Amino acid sequence: MTFTAVRQLMGLPVSLDLRDGTEDDAERVFAWLHEVDLRFSPFRMDSEVTRYDEGRIGADGISDDLRHVLALCQAYEDQSGGAFKAKLPGRGLDPNAVVKGWAVQRAAEMLRAAGVTRFCINAGGDVVTAGEPADGEPWRVGIRHPDDSHEVCAVVAVRDGAMATSAAYERGNHIIDGRTGMPAFGLLSMTVFAFDLATADATATAAFAMGVDGVEWAVEQPGCLVHAVDSNYRVFRSPQLPVLT
Amino acid sequence: MRRAIPAILLTAAGFAFVWQYEPTTSAQAALPPADTVPSLPAPSGGTTAPRTVDGSAERNKHGVVQVQVVFTGDRITDVRFLQLPSSGPSRMAGPRLVQETLSAQSTAIDTVSGATMTSQSYIASLQAAIDAKGA
Repeated sequence: MTFTAVRQLMGLPVSLDLRDGTEDDAERVFAWLHEVDLRFSPFRMDSEVTRYDEGRIGADGISDDLRHVLALCQAYEDQSGGAFKAKLPGRGLDPNAVVKGWAVQRAAEMLRAAGVTRFCINAGGDVVTAGEPADGEPWRVGIRHPDDSHEVCAVVAVRDGAMATSAAYERGNHIIDGRTGMPAFGLLSMTVFAFDLATADATATAAFAMGVDGVEWAVEQPGCLVHAVDSNYRVFRSPQLPVLT
Repeated sequence: MRRAIPAILLTAAGFAFVWQYEPTTSAQAALPPADTVPSLPAPSGGTTAPRTVDGSAERNKHGVVQVQVVFTGDRITDVRFLQLPSSGPSRMAGPRLVQETLSAQSTAIDTVSGATMTSQSYIASLQAAIDAKGA
């Protein structure tokens, strides 16, 4: 039985497409993402992230989930040579780039544990899929054209995989290169295809922050395939990326 | 000059290792221009006709590299590669990136990956149209 729904959570439109799931399955996903927002939003005065950032709770008082997220942030900061930073100078702790991928990947695992085998979650442009929407058919995931929200510039056939895109066309030049403290430049969009969304999202964000260097860097990350558009409108992609034409 | 020739050939052989280093911004392995080869300070002496000396074939993990050095007088005026592995180091396992031109695709899709959307931009987005249509 198919169930689809959209909900505004974590400041994002979250679309669920469950081909063999129910409304109850969807509600569990939405409840989890709402909980994540309460606990991890840097914009909420009483979230665990804000309390930790302001020193109201110490490192030994945080949850295992936050400890895990902070470890992921540190790993991506190290791997990207500092281009990705959850804590920029003069700013509050913002682990959002890692939290979103991690939380939505956890939601996918909750669905699998509940016996849902064919689904697609799209959280504000970050996508995780399971199985096939119909027998023999992959999920056809479009990559938004950087200039036109009504066009896609590639379509990728995905089964049990995740895709995340980082770009400046939606919220302006808000991604900061942690190495310079300046807005990232050089790329129009960076899409990463990986087995799980935590990897895809963090890799796409860090690579976009690195600018043109991020393309080769992302390709070198284990298990990651890349589709990037640079500011000269050239596309660089992994030859193994299963694009449909 | 006699002693300088082995030194120059060693320099050229050493240069093969520079060739192995591939700049991260380049999708193609470009051969370095000949004028980047360091030349030894020229001892005093007049100019003579160009003279060509072949280096020994050196094997590295990517294959065999052999250079040919052209001297004009005491100066290196050209370096050629007589043998090179058929592909650069990063291409041993196939190309890591292919370059294409940006185009719009009309294939039917189930969902859209894009930069994080706001609720306002979602309303006018392709994803909203897909959601409204249902599975």
